[in-house]
Amino acid sequence: MAAVTLSEVRKSYGGLEVVHGIDLEVKSGEFLVLVGPSGCGKSTLLRMIAGLEEITDGTIAIGERIVNDVPASQRNLSMVFQSYALYPHMSVRKNLAFGLTNLRMPRPEIERRVAEAAKILQIGELLERKPRQLSGGQKQRVAIGRAIVREPQLFLFDEPLSNLDAELRVQMRVELANLYNRLGTTMIYVTHDQVEAMTMATRIAVLSKGNIEQVGTPYELYNFPRNRFVATFIGSPKMNILEANAMGGAATVADFGTLPVVVPDGPISVGIRPEQVLIGRDGDLVAEGKVTLVEYLGSEIFVHLRLASGRDMLAKAANTAQHKIGDEVSVALRRESLHTFDANGLTAPRATTTA
Amino acid sequence: MADTTLVGAAPTHPTTAQIAAAIREERARRGKRAALLKHIFLIITSLVMIYPLIWMLASSLKPDNQIFGNLGLWPSELRWENYTAGWNAMAVSFTRFFLNSTFVTVLSVIGNVISCSFAAYAFARLEFSGKNIWFALMMMTLMIPYHVVLIPQYILFLKAGWVDSYLPLIVPRFLAGDAFFIFLMVQFFRQLPRDLDEAAMIDGCNPFKIYWAIILPLSVPAMATAAIFSFIWTWEDFLGPLVYLNDMRDYTVPLALRSFIAQDSVSAYGQLFAMSVLSIVPIVIFFIIFQRLIIRGIAMSGLK
Amino acid sequence: MNKFIRRNLAGYTFLLPWLIGFFALAVGPIVSSLYLSFTDYDAVAAPSWIGLENYEFMVKDRRFWKALSVTFSFVVISVPAKLVFALAVAMILDRGVRAIGWYRALFYLPSILGGSIAVAVLWRQLFENDGLVNTLLGVVGVDGPNWLSDPRYSLTTLIVLAVWQFGSPMLIFLAGLRAIPQELYEAAEIDAAGKFRRFFAITLPLLAPVIFFNLVLQMIEAFKSFSGAFVISGGKGAPLDSLLFFTVYLYNEAFSYFRMGYASALAWVLLLIIAVFTAVAFWTSKYWVHYENERS
Repeated sequence: MAAVTLSEVRKSYGGLEVVHGIDLEVKSGEFLVLVGPSGCGKSTLLRMIAGLEEITDGTIAIGERIVNDVPASQRNLSMVFQSYALYPHMSVRKNLAFGLTNLRMPRPEIERRVAEAAKILQIGELLERKPRQLSGGQKQRVAIGRAIVREPQLFLFDEPLSNLDAELRVQMRVELANLYNRLGTTMIYVTHDQVEAMTMATRIAVLSKGNIEQVGTPYELYNFPRNRFVATFIGSPKMNILEANAMGGAATVADFGTLPVVVPDGPISVGIRPEQVLIGRDGDLVAEGKVTLVEYLGSEIFVHLRLASGRDMLAKAANTAQHKIGDEVSVALRRESLHTFDANGLTAPRATTTA
Repeated sequence: MADTTLVGAAPTHPTTAQIAAAIREERARRGKRAALLKHIFLIITSLVMIYPLIWMLASSLKPDNQIFGNLGLWPSELRWENYTAGWNAMAVSFTRFFLNSTFVTVLSVIGNVISCSFAAYAFARLEFSGKNIWFALMMMTLMIPYHVVLIPQYILFLKAGWVDSYLPLIVPRFLAGDAFFIFLMVQFFRQLPRDLDEAAMIDGCNPFKIYWAIILPLSVPAMATAAIFSFIWTWEDFLGPLVYLNDMRDYTVPLALRSFIAQDSVSAYGQLFAMSVLSIVPIVIFFIIFQRLIIRGIAMSGLK
Repeated sequence: MNKFIRRNLAGYTFLLPWLIGFFALAVGPIVSSLYLSFTDYDAVAAPSWIGLENYEFMVKDRRFWKALSVTFSFVVISVPAKLVFALAVAMILDRGVRAIGWYRALFYLPSILGGSIAVAVLWRQLFENDGLVNTLLGVVGVDGPNWLSDPRYSLTTLIVLAVWQFGSPMLIFLAGLRAIPQELYEAAEIDAAGKFRRFFAITLPLLAPVIFFNLVLQMIEAFKSFSGAFVISGGKGAPLDSLLFFTVYLYNEAFSYFRMGYASALAWVLLLIIAVFTAVAFWTSKYWVHYENERS
């Protein structure tokens, strides 16, 4: 088990900088998820930690050791790839043992570790098969097995579930979480899927355009996003954003009226999560609108609304609610569930008193 | 009664592949008349294509006076002596020529596969400065006719005292002299997922180990294709031996065949054909065995 | 520095054999061939510098012009004929033909044997005065010419030999045809495009890159072809230089008469001709080659 410390890490390809000075501390024994839209630099960051990409500037330390110039094989880590990267010409057993053989580990020890990994992942009966004879889920297990036999101080996962179908993905998510609880090793996990990030992480780092937007527990990110990007990226369906105008401590939100804010004057935005959009008049701010679409999901209902000004909102309602397309409804917001973002998209402190 | 199919064992639903096959057959059935015409055309074309070769085989078994002015393929008597006599018709027996050809070919194939796979691995998988320039230069050598480098190479080998030995034919093969094969292998290596190299790197492999333990075992088809083409081209090579080998005892089979005609033993056509047939037997055998690999190799790289 | 070496070490180690070969067997020879082309050299005495004399001689050399015209005629006739035939057969083979594997193999076999001396020997006999070709012509009542000794007909034998080897461009066409999505044809059928319209509006434009590739490849091959012409023309380009391929002329100058300087000049002309043809093919390709993922 080891902590990982990144300071001022940069990466350029040619003259093009894709990772801009990242500082990040991964604590020992933590399950840290790097999440962000595609092209945000999360995979590059992971590959730099792995030693598969050179660092243009800055330092990466695993434990106490700075590993900038240490080859991947000597960083005492293992990695699970999106494509699984199982060696097609080797049996499952050889795939698991390959890295250990390269370390010139004694035979009995290799066999012990392979057997143990096979037991943990329930792939004992697959050991003599070739990767092409395995299903997607089985390949995934073998890939994880290959990572754990090394008993590394750090696990890296590069979107390991994105090639699986939805059902299997949920199942493997649970298994990975269990594996983490059992091994307790430091894990760094890259995904573009914020649901994966929320469900598995002890902490999440949200990346965008080569910068870290926020690092925190899933609870912190969901409830106290530091800026508009994190607020809209985390949470599904997405947070509603209403453009507004601030003037002298009060913001005017079209359709809804005014509310007190603590931001400099100018264009701002106000965010509210769909589950906090209430249909009815029971709130601090109320507007009138029309139902444009109803999506029935079983456990809940998504109600798409169009307000008088023509602005669209999404509300999440209980599955017992009866709404039809074309219904005229009132939409109510509570002040304490609103997020206010200043002109730069940074979250503004909440106004404490009523206006 | 409408739900009889629901009673008992439900009929198994066909697999996707089965459905696709069924659709294809259905389409084929629709174009049956056209298909028949196609087949007639194709069969006639194949016959025309193959006829000269069959004629050569037939003639190799005929008495000399039946070869010309005669359309019939079947000889009045099978002259197997054409083969035995042709084999020893020249000052040096064909045993020697076949051994020479085999020696040159085997070493050339080995040299080609090793050196070209080295270069291809570097181009396809490794990062080093100047890679793109070297690659472009390598591709340009594809265009250079052998005739252009032949004279200086000849002078070089002459000065080295290599003329009248097999070195000028074999050494260039160990120096990745044929860019076709590099290109073929680069194409193949690039298809292999890069994640494998990276997984192997994390598993403690250096580039040499990755080449040996990952890339090579996964490239057997490409290696085999290169080896087969290399075999065929070296076996058939004429200009190289023509320039570098002067002593009949060193001759390769094509060179020997050409002296056979030049000998002015004009009447021994049966023997000439018999030796011609034997000279292409190894190639035809290779072609029959490795036909699939050869055809896939061409589609992949656009070779020759 | 250390980092630089580490980053390049593996790459250059694997590249080493090729690098040695590249300099010793390609770059070196090409450069020295250029030098030799300005000298008088018999491979025994030291080369003596004669400036442009070889090239001046070439302009007046009747056999040089003959060799050029023979080679050009061969390229200009055999390459298009071969490609048209290859494309036609590929289209017939393309979809829904049973036993396609057999036909493919049969059609490809001549390509693999075509370079062999055995086939050159066979070809010579096929076109003998009383050979198979004339016997066949006799059956349909045509009195065939004397193919090998009549300079008006001798080149035909080599053109037929080249077209006989249509198998390899055919395989490349087949691969290209496979890559054209079937949906396009179905869409065109719905748009009421007939067979010919579909060929000219879909197949031809989408296949253009493959045609182009085959054209360049076959042209270079045709310029380089040697053994067939050498054997069929008795090594000298006979009859009456009508089979004096450029390569055959070059070989004779160099290795029969040991005029290495002049032969080097010929070699450079050959290199330039091939380079120019390739360049022209590439340059004109933008007018008629359509690449699928091209930006507008």
